[in-house]
Amino acid sequence: MIQLTVNGKPVEVETGSTILDAIRKAGFNVPTLCYHPKLVPYGSCRLCLVEVEGARTLQPSCVVPAANGMVVRTDTDRVKSARKFVLSMIFSERNHFCMYCQDTDGDCDLQQAAYDEGMTHWTITPAYKPFTVDASHPDFILDNNRCILCRRCVRACTELVGNATLGFEERGSGSLLIADNNVPLGESSCISCGNCVQFCPTGALIDRRSAYQGRETDLTHVNSVCMDCSLGCERVVKTRDNRLVRIDGNEDIGFNDSLLCYDGRYKPLTEDRDRITSPLVRRNGQLESITWDEALSVISAQFKAHDSSEINAHISPRQPIEALSAFHEFFADHFQVGEVTLLGHDQTALACAKLAAEIGAFESGISTLKDCDAAIVLGTDMVKDHQVAGFFLKRQAINDLKMFTANSTHTKISDWSSNKLEYIGTDYPAVVNLLESYVKGDAADLSTQLQNLSLNPERAQKVLGNLKENQKVVIVVGKEFARVENLPAFRKLVELAREIGAKVVTLKGQGNNFAGAVFGYEMDAQAKSAPVFFLALGDDQACDHTRDALAGSEFKIVQASYESAVTEMADIVLPCTIWAEQAGHYLNSDGKLGLNQQAIQAAEGNRSVLDVLKILASKSGLTLSETWRAAVEEKVAAIVLS
Amino acid sequence: MTKPKVASDWLAGCAGCHMSFLNMDERIIELTKLVDLRATPITDLKEPDEEGVDVGILEGGIANSYNEEVAIRMRKRCKILVALGDCAVFGGVPAMRNFAGAAEALKRAYIETESTDGSGMIPNDPELSVAQHVRPVSDVVKVDVFLPGCAPSADAIYYVLSELAQGRMPKVEGEFNNWH
Repeated sequence: MIQLTVNGKPVEVETGSTILDAIRKAGFNVPTLCYHPKLVPYGSCRLCLVEVEGARTLQPSCVVPAANGMVVRTDTDRVKSARKFVLSMIFSERNHFCMYCQDTDGDCDLQQAAYDEGMTHWTITPAYKPFTVDASHPDFILDNNRCILCRRCVRACTELVGNATLGFEERGSGSLLIADNNVPLGESSCISCGNCVQFCPTGALIDRRSAYQGRETDLTHVNSVCMDCSLGCERVVKTRDNRLVRIDGNEDIGFNDSLLCYDGRYKPLTEDRDRITSPLVRRNGQLESITWDEALSVISAQFKAHDSSEINAHISPRQPIEALSAFHEFFADHFQVGEVTLLGHDQTALACAKLAAEIGAFESGISTLKDCDAAIVLGTDMVKDHQVAGFFLKRQAINDLKMFTANSTHTKISDWSSNKLEYIGTDYPAVVNLLESYVKGDAADLSTQLQNLSLNPERAQKVLGNLKENQKVVIVVGKEFARVENLPAFRKLVELAREIGAKVVTLKGQGNNFAGAVFGYEMDAQAKSAPVFFLALGDDQACDHTRDALAGSEFKIVQASYESAVTEMADIVLPCTIWAEQAGHYLNSDGKLGLNQQAIQAAEGNRSVLDVLKILASKSGLTLSETWRAAVEEKVAAIVLS
Repeated sequence: MTKPKVASDWLAGCAGCHMSFLNMDERIIELTKLVDLRATPITDLKEPDEEGVDVGILEGGIANSYNEEVAIRMRKRCKILVALGDCAVFGGVPAMRNFAGAAEALKRAYIETESTDGSGMIPNDPELSVAQHVRPVSDVVKVDVFLPGCAPSADAIYYVLSELAQGRMPKVEGEFNNWH
């Protein structure tokens, strides 16, 4: 521990803390611009200058380590005048006219810093030098005129996302924010995750959809979890006048440290499918509008007219736990229909549940990926799916993380590490045998094994040669590998992991796939055609398998938010709320529950899957229990290590 | 006790700050009990009294030789000069043209606009003022009170004027310090 005084107040901080940490711990504050708690301190803006007794010059508190006996002052005239001078210099350098910036009044850290210092005007005339604007990207604009060169975007892009797209060219006041080797952002290696926009303290990175749509304080903020994959990233949905305006990563909660990928941040705002506005029924081959009462009566009549074994029910994992639980209770427990299935091909959650039943809880949380020495990624492409988990590996891969990937196609994530071994194929049992050979170190046929998998022996030795000695090995298991037919290999893999103290992390499809497995849904799109087929699609898109199963069924009931090929062929269509119009819980890969709060009101006529189930249940004289939490928590504890 | 005299004028601005002044509504009656409103663009008297006023208010930045003349005259004739609004304080929207220069801006406005039929020309009557690099008022004359905002709220203007009328220097801070 280090002891020092700040403005005369003694304070104790941990070794390695900065002066800024000590200032804030002592209950004082200094303004900052380039500093961000989630980034490595950089010290470029000079706004956090403080007086340190004995030091010749003022010291940037965000980068200078606190030392024993230091006497720090944040409130002297010298500090205050330096702060105003620094701000005046920043304002004079580029176009920082607030009145024609989209980022004002509480949204801009630079403006706020000026307010906090009581500045009413500028003391240095601006340079009026124009800088480049890059508007080639569909989601955001890069305006160098508004840039203060703090490099928070560059650091977020590299340190957190591991994509290293953004960088700077030129020097000093002529420095320019660029993408790659100065190519237009829209044609660059940018993956459109938008984290740079969230980290920008000024209006230099402009979000196209929310620009000029109101200040942060004009928008309603609602906590949400992303259901696009099983990570369940925590995010904040921002709305105005019942419109979705912007989505940002949640800076307060969640394993994702405020990071989101394109699918979590921008994709929900690009929705352009046509909404279904009223219940529809097929009459004389045409879909016609009917009332909800009529539609529900038709459905009840169909249920009564058929034996329950003639009904199949199929639901999207984008639906909240509340709906999945009620759906299973209604169709499987009460009705005991033919089949209750979950949309999608991802069996990971099911395979994990089955494996855990055999050998006990074995999974570790996603956060394990943030700090490891070696990563073994089997059967998933973390650049395409579960991208935020991919960020955790990519950002370490830049520093030569050992990486072994196995997938049927090339996965870009392996491109990030120079210390990599890549197997392209689907013989996962052979891959696990190879890992076993390296762990046990006694395989006589190692060279044959390597040859069969077309792997370079030297490279393999470098990456897998001393797995045991590596302190932090993490094994990521995804959809190609984690299939029921691979269970013996999966089991062997987990046993090897236990032997060497490696952590196993699994990625479980989308949304509530894990919850589906917990409730006992069949996961692998075994949906078959039936005399009556009930499809609770919601805002999801049907896969080919679902479409075929529906097409072969006689009476087709589809609950959907958007018009699509499946609503075209339906006999009854029920207009359904989308993710933002309903509240509910999601169970992520880690087994953690996230709450997606309702952000906007649905137009009249839309009803959620859950609400419709409740009505159908009451028509059948049933009451749905609505209790699921204890059962979910108990089952998760049997799969995921606490 | 005689009421302090207040005069105002506008330079390269949009009149929005004077609109905001009028937005103080019935409080303007209170204000006239405190101050003697003299020459303003919205009263009959157009030039500040030669014998001087106590408070001079300028809206808008300095965009040409005429603005410069008006600013210098106001400074000479007032004791306390208030720069009202973002254009007077920072240069504001007219200062956007500084990134291209006055010549480019005139060319764009009079010759290149889509509605110009090809015979466009930049007005060059010697009576006309000469376009300049746009500056905040404080780049030309000394300013005593800066009230930024686009436009400053009626509350902020009322606060500043009522403080000055009662012989105090206003502190522009909190919700009254708004750069928009």
